Amino acid sequence: MLPPHAVFHFPWELNCLGEGKSVRTFGRLSCYEADTSRATLSCQHASKEHHVFVRTSFVEPFNPIIGAQYLVLGETETYEGFGVMICARVLSCVDGVNIALLQKAIEGQRSFFRERDSFGGGGQHR
Amino acid sequence: MEEPPSILWGLDPIFSAFARLYIQDILQMTESVQIPGIYFYNSHPIYKVDVLGTVVYKRERDNFFCYGVDDGTGVINCLCWKGELLKDKDDGTGTAPAPSDPGVFDPVVELKKLKQAQQKRCRLEIGELLRVRGSVKTFRQQREISASVFYKVDDPLMAVQIQWMMDVPELYRECYDKTFELQSDGHGESAGTPLIKATNLIKDFIKQKSVSRFRPYDVQDLLQPLIFNQLRAASAEPEAAGPSGCQQLRQLLKEVLQILQDEGVVYRRVKAQDEVYHVTEQDKDLLIAVKDIIREDSKREKYSEKGCHVLHILSAVRQRHSLNVSAAALELVLKSLECNSDIVSTSDKHYTAF
Repeated sequence: MLPPHAVFHFPWELNCLGEGKSVRTFGRLSCYEADTSRATLSCQHASKEHHVFVRTSFVEPFNPIIGAQYLVLGETETYEGFGVMICARVLSCVDGVNIALLQKAIEGQRSFFRERDSFGGGGQHR
Repeated sequence: MEEPPSILWGLDPIFSAFARLYIQDILQMTESVQIPGIYFYNSHPIYKVDVLGTVVYKRERDNFFCYGVDDGTGVINCLCWKGELLKDKDDGTGTAPAPSDPGVFDPVVELKKLKQAQQKRCRLEIGELLRVRGSVKTFRQQREISASVFYKVDDPLMAVQIQWMMDVPELYRECYDKTFELQSDGHGESAGTPLIKATNLIKDFIKQKSVSRFRPYDVQDLLQPLIFNQLRAASAEPEAAGPSGCQQLRQLLKEVLQILQDEGVVYRRVKAQDEVYHVTEQDKDLLIAVKDIIREDSKREKYSEKGCHVLHILSAVRQRHSLNVSAAALELVLKSLECNSDIVSTSDKHYTAF
């Protein structure tokens, strides 16, 4: 009944994820095709431009602001020769977000989970 | 590992707080075998939590909203009961109320505005950010949160979510992942540092033996076992140059006597080379001196109405009895006199006698 939880990933990490993973990621809206319900979010990282393809069928109508930062939450779909596309359940404009700080927060959280898991199952053992 | 006995759960500060756990942990907490409805995370008893997440599921009924909240680690249902204002379907989603005259208070218009404001905060759509504080419940084998407080969070720049993501790991490191240790070790030993234990040892001795005055060497031996334990623990390590047992004992005694003086439990009537400590509550002369001061001065016109201020009594005692009576010691004497109905307090800091 409840959908699976969506884990934060960076745009450059999506291609290795595979099919059907619930993710949360971000990027600048660089293109939107209403007739095919497809949007593209872009992000600069390590002097490379990364693209996140988004299927917007379930979040339409939305007001596309080209160039604005967006947060997308949804499931990955793989297409032959195309790569990964996210079928969005949530697409929110977060323009003005401090991307560097968001990245730091995500990395901080991951490092905490790694630390905890390395102590053997974390706090679940009483 | 066994659960700590339920009678001690209140000692864990986290038990009384809305714990900001990850939803993943809330879902995986084990339920107590002693009391269902209480759960354990790392030996901490938990029954209420605080979460922030995206609404990914919504179900509405007449009496409640059920929001599925996703914080990136798990998804949990939050049962959000509707207040009376929200239940009324005929609310402000229609026309906006007409602008009211600033001088006139129109209850109908104000009520409509209040309903609209409540709707705005409590009615969320998928994708919006929700904050929920409430108790953890298991319903039909599903864990859920029964909200006591819930509201939509406006977070256009993700500042709130980012701050939350940075705060929670710190909370885990500082509180939730530290084991809750209880001090019931069955020996009835008082918990705490050697200094606290030492202070309590001396206090108990003074009380039990009704000691009225003593010299340091009279009570020194009481502290011997504490030093002995410390030395025994230290001897397991390779020898390092440090204070001897004797020196440690003298140092500990010195600190304890200072604490007892600061608390007013003891005082030195005369400061001479011969260190004699008088136990405040057993000092009959001091008691009588304070009683006489209050009785005499209460007769004077200056103090007859309001009584004597504690600072006035202190200055008089220092002149008549001993310069070394501290405010703390005087407080103890006044309390004791009041308990015996020898004096009466007329206000927080004033006393009189009849």
